[in-house]
Amino acid sequence: MLPFLFRRLLQFIPTFLISTLVLFFVVQAAPGDFLTQLSQNPRVTPEKLAQLKINYSLDQSEWVQYIRWLTNLLKGNLGISFAANQPVWDLVAPRLWNSLILVIISTVLTYAIGLLIGIYGALRPYSVPDRIISVLAYFGLGIPSFFFGLLVIYGLVVLKQNTGWDVPITGKSSGALQNAGFFRNGWDVFLHALAPSIVLALRSISSESRFIRGQMLEVMGQDYIRTARAKGLNDSIVTYKHAFRNASLPLVATLGSLLPFLIGGAGFVEVVFAWPGLTPLLLDSLGNQDLYVIVSTAALTSLLYIIGNILADILLAAVDPRIRYS
Amino acid sequence: MTTATSLSQSAAVKSQSLYQVAWKQFRKHPLARFGVVILAVLYLLAIFAGFLSPYSPTSYESDSNRVSWAPPSSIHIRTADGRYTAPFIYGVKREVDLTTFRDKYTEDTAQVYPLRWFVSRPQASYKLLGFIPMNAHLFGVDDPARIYLWGTDNLGRDQFTRVLYGGQISLSIGLVATFFSVLLGVIFGGIAGYYQGWADALIMRIVEVLSAIPELFLLITLRAIFPVDANPILVLYFIIGILSVVGWGGIARTVRSQLLSIRELDYVQAAQAMGAYDSRIIGRHMLPNTLSYLIVSVSLIIPGFILAESGLSFLGIGVVEPYASWGSLIKVAQDGGFESITGRPWVLIPGVFIFLAVLAWQFVGDGLRDAFDPRKRQ
Repeated sequence: MLPFLFRRLLQFIPTFLISTLVLFFVVQAAPGDFLTQLSQNPRVTPEKLAQLKINYSLDQSEWVQYIRWLTNLLKGNLGISFAANQPVWDLVAPRLWNSLILVIISTVLTYAIGLLIGIYGALRPYSVPDRIISVLAYFGLGIPSFFFGLLVIYGLVVLKQNTGWDVPITGKSSGALQNAGFFRNGWDVFLHALAPSIVLALRSISSESRFIRGQMLEVMGQDYIRTARAKGLNDSIVTYKHAFRNASLPLVATLGSLLPFLIGGAGFVEVVFAWPGLTPLLLDSLGNQDLYVIVSTAALTSLLYIIGNILADILLAAVDPRIRYS
Repeated sequence: MTTATSLSQSAAVKSQSLYQVAWKQFRKHPLARFGVVILAVLYLLAIFAGFLSPYSPTSYESDSNRVSWAPPSSIHIRTADGRYTAPFIYGVKREVDLTTFRDKYTEDTAQVYPLRWFVSRPQASYKLLGFIPMNAHLFGVDDPARIYLWGTDNLGRDQFTRVLYGGQISLSIGLVATFFSVLLGVIFGGIAGYYQGWADALIMRIVEVLSAIPELFLLITLRAIFPVDANPILVLYFIIGILSVVGWGGIARTVRSQLLSIRELDYVQAAQAMGAYDSRIIGRHMLPNTLSYLIVSVSLIIPGFILAESGLSFLGIGVVEPYASWGSLIKVAQDGGFESITGRPWVLIPGVFIFLAVLAWQFVGDGLRDAFDPRKRQ
């Protein structure tokens, strides 16, 4: 297992390098450089600018800059945000964590609900509930997450006005909570994260449930399922042990690409619900031309893709006994 | 010879090509038919936006006549004394609500403006189909009244007009970006699948890189190349450009995997043996065989592009003023905060159009996929 994972990690190195290369040179192609915004600040002296230029090798060729940025990145130094005047990592880390809160809750929702209704649809194909679910899945795939988010906010505001419930709508926590305990704070954040996570999960629930339904239907038509039934096994064992385990393999294999998809997809939801995640930060940085934040964050998220893929490999080995990495 | 007799027998039955069969299947698909109807309506609305909309998408008044956030005009067919007449609207007065300091619009039942058909409005001239100058509009009311079917935006521009014009941008960006990304995908997928070796490795690595960076972040990074306040029309082209650059990977993967299996087939080897050029083998013999897969994946990436464009515009890094797309129209709803959403729900209407367009393309895409799938023949 370990040698395999190591080999797999090695395979991802070129992907990571090329993506950092692409990102860095795309950002270099942008008008101005890392210091443009800072040079317009009257409080920054030319001496300070020249010093920064040397510190970040901005006076040297782009390749030198790239190598320098990359080695710093690998050492865990993501550069400095000139707009916020602090290291990029300090700026990005809490935002990344916030985005991950949404991603984790919606991933759990996706698999819990998506698998349930997918399997249900496969066990009773073309029944009335299955047809209703199909129609709803089309809606879930067709509705843009930001539009759905706005509709949910509309609904929540109306609910709040009519019933007087204190429904958390936007932001990450209610400001009224001062010095509350850890669990109280956690619960507060969870309540705030609930609506955006559900909006975020809707799309992947729709696609995953259709996918698992299709896979299940295909597996249920196989000979070994008939054999299992002929042996007199009860339905739940046939469904979950024989059919579902096989049907879920492609699902597990695509888990790796789900992580970047969800983090990117969370962006719109974050903007709509004013959730302090990565995307609002990136949009601000785009406005401020805070280029190190953009390039380092994007590079960081491509690492998540690699982590997701390796996790998927491990999971696949756990689910599928035919796979032995040795 | 048994083969000879069976051949002559089957020749008597009129054989159908793959595309004839698929077309027949497609027409039987209920969802696909529904999708085609919605798409036809949406594209017709966009093409004839100038004629169907009563005003110009950019005109507004800024002085005391301003009508920002006016609610949709209600069209009456009953007069105040209870008689039924031709449709008309009442004149609208703007007042300031002294408790909320918001504009309040009230109908003045003394002023009656009948709805008129085929109104000529020189100040809102347009070019029909892009080249016939016209100023006739399907409907309208006499000045000084104005008819706002779906209310107005923050500046007082007619939202109905802007949604129709926005459709031109949203729907065409989806198609054009698809065209370019298919072009890129077919070229690079073709090279990778046919030549294999280092070209294949390089191209597939780039495709993997494109999928490793979250799409939204890649779009934001690419958007950094262009100044935020660039020329609006350049921004439009640029958005098409970045959407195609981000989107070709999936197509390239499909084409490559198809070509990898096709290039082992006998007729490709025959063509090679007869000395055909590589470009002829790829273009004439191999690519046509991937066409059915291509059609299906194209119909499924168009809605993706419509979503991506509206998303970018919603975030404020897509289509910029004076142009409007459905995404940038929805942005108005977000900018105003809760107040805007509950106080003026009509700002959400453009979202319904994004939804309809994406849904309809998905229906068509699913219909095409089933039509080409031999296991799903009816």
